[in-house]
Amino acid sequence: MADLTYENKVILEMREHFRDKIIETRVQRERRVVMRTSKDNIESVLLFLKEKMGFLHLSHIGCVDWMEENRFEIVYILWHPQEKINVLVKVDIDRLNPVAPNIDYIWPQANTYEREMREMFGIEFEGLVGPRELILEDWDDLPPMRRDFDTLHYVMENYSFRSGREDAQNVREVIANRTGEEIPEFAKKYSR
Amino acid sequence: MRNEKTTTIYLGPQHPGITGNMMVKLEIQGDTVVKAETHIGYLHRGFEKLMERRNWLQSFTIVCRICVPEPDPNEENYARGVEEIEGREVPEKARWIRMLVLELARIQAYLLWYGGQSGSAGLYTIGQWSVGDRNYVLDLFEELTGGRVYHMYIWPGGVRRDLPKGFKSRVAKVMDYIEKRLDDYDRVMFDNAVFQKRTQGIGYIPPEKAIEWGVVGPPLRAAGIASDVRKDDPYEFYDQVDFVVPDMYNTSDVWARALVRRFEIRQSINIVRQILDKMPDKGPVWNKIPNPHKWRIPRGEAYVKTESARGEFGYYVVSDGSEHPRRIHVRGPAYVHGITLLEKILVGQNIADVSVIMNSLGTCPPEMER
Amino acid sequence: MNYVLNDRESAKIVEFIKNFARKNSLWVLAYGTGCGAIEIPPTMTSRYDAERFSVRGAATPRQADVLLITGYLSVKTLKRVIRSYEQMQDPKYVIGFGSCTINGGMYWDSYNTIKQLDLYIPVDVYINGCMPRPEAVLAGFAKLQELIGRGQANGWRHYKENLEWYRQNQRKLIKNWKMPDYNW
Repeated sequence: MADLTYENKVILEMREHFRDKIIETRVQRERRVVMRTSKDNIESVLLFLKEKMGFLHLSHIGCVDWMEENRFEIVYILWHPQEKINVLVKVDIDRLNPVAPNIDYIWPQANTYEREMREMFGIEFEGLVGPRELILEDWDDLPPMRRDFDTLHYVMENYSFRSGREDAQNVREVIANRTGEEIPEFAKKYSR
Repeated sequence: MRNEKTTTIYLGPQHPGITGNMMVKLEIQGDTVVKAETHIGYLHRGFEKLMERRNWLQSFTIVCRICVPEPDPNEENYARGVEEIEGREVPEKARWIRMLVLELARIQAYLLWYGGQSGSAGLYTIGQWSVGDRNYVLDLFEELTGGRVYHMYIWPGGVRRDLPKGFKSRVAKVMDYIEKRLDDYDRVMFDNAVFQKRTQGIGYIPPEKAIEWGVVGPPLRAAGIASDVRKDDPYEFYDQVDFVVPDMYNTSDVWARALVRRFEIRQSINIVRQILDKMPDKGPVWNKIPNPHKWRIPRGEAYVKTESARGEFGYYVVSDGSEHPRRIHVRGPAYVHGITLLEKILVGQNIADVSVIMNSLGTCPPEMER
Repeated sequence: MNYVLNDRESAKIVEFIKNFARKNSLWVLAYGTGCGAIEIPPTMTSRYDAERFSVRGAATPRQADVLLITGYLSVKTLKRVIRSYEQMQDPKYVIGFGSCTINGGMYWDSYNTIKQLDLYIPVDVYINGCMPRPEAVLAGFAKLQELIGRGQANGWRHYKENLEWYRQNQRKLIKNWKMPDYNW
């Protein structure tokens, strides 16, 4: 059985210090601790984790578009170099008014992640500097990583294919027709 | 006489010294860089978007294309992420084979690095040797997986097929050959005064800042910090093989990073030998998955990471319970090395050393922009 | 013997000599535009050794004869590739490398990669595969040499004659067109 002492200690200390500002804490598995906080507290949570708990290394900032629930979920993944633990701090932000605090004064490399998110999801970070274009050039459509941006539609409008692809069928549909099965709504939308 | 005038130079995207299709905009004063700015996006394919449109098995065929010089850590990460969310068991032999593939991939990536690093310092012989010898490792891959570069071999539930007959002995033979050749490389590269002069004291990363700045992999170990995902967060059976994470080369310059890699390629050969010893002869290599068109992964998320030749490769895999990945976010080592770190440490360096430094950090554009 | 060549015959001989010289000295622009660039070092180094087929690298577009498009092109790269191509001196040849240059390949539904390379720059030889092996690359070069020897690799001439058509296709993708106009 894995030893989860330090994982539990992290949760205890965070709960003690932040009380109800930290929710949904759990030990996902060995070396992975997950917690959720709100947009207003994220800076203080990250600073506390870095300065007091020793999570010095920022591994990753990820973003998930939960379009149905009308929110973006930003995940900050930190690493403790001595105790060898990853902590995942999740924040929800409103999808219609996507503004998040800028944390590149805590970790300089956060700047790149935030610029990418600004470009790919259209999330604004308060006080973020740097050119607006990181990856794309002269992009004038929806931010491409949003769920409602339809890449196939964009491709069909802007590019053309050689002949020879006409007989390419939707495999999912072929199978469903053969067995007389109903395709779920989400599968219909994303599988072509 | 001091010349205060600065000149802007665009290094890349079309430049023989650049490590791929990217661009570094340099402001120089005389020969000294005063400001550097990385521009990326020339290789953006939108993998993370494409994976939302493909099902869990179709996505596996495109993850390996995220990082071209070393595709296998991507497959490993993806497979382990899916298995972790689904709770799928992997047969014992498959896990040993995965380790074998990962270590062979590391060896070939280091052999390519030998060519790049020495080529950027003006020594072209080692490139001819090591890239030529790398073909022997690629031949092994070809026999095992059918592809030289993209293998599409490690997939959720195990690996795609068992080892061919007599494969182990051929791996051992190639390892013996490469180990012997490494001494030749040492003689022309590490004993070479030109290479020593070009690399010592160049591209210094302050060790006390290294962790905070997000440095991983060989550059971090060259700063004297023994950090390796294989030891810190062991995956597969890396806790059952013996290897040393180097922290004795701690000058934190290009020279130390070269020494770390020189040490690690030998460690990898050693690990491959241990794997060949410990791998069971018989057993299944794949835990069968259901019909991929109806294969749903329960809602959940996982952050998995693998040590690649350039550092920690992380995947943040999110499933919403459907047949398609909700989001797969890739964190390549070069994402930090090639942008914020490179912009910081290039300041004050000679313009001729820019490509030496980029090679030593392992900047690899395809994984920065995916 | 006092035989004098007429104009047509001498032009033919000169053309033959020119093509012979061109096909036996191919300088490839060192521009790794996509993932195919990973198979170029093995092709150039000891095992496959493209130099024995008189193929070698050139550092700048103005010294190069062949533009090797190694794989998919994103729209951002396409702009740079067009510029590199237009800087190259005549005669110049383009090799499309990998399935993704032919019809999108693996990235057929990606919003950021072009699908057919020959809509934007003229392609003389395509090499298919993902990724093509070094042998395939060498075979592609051999094919190009054969075409040059027969005087059939005329993509560069085609580009000049149909510049308007190419420009129209290029401008459709590249929205912010800030390119120098070369006066050939």
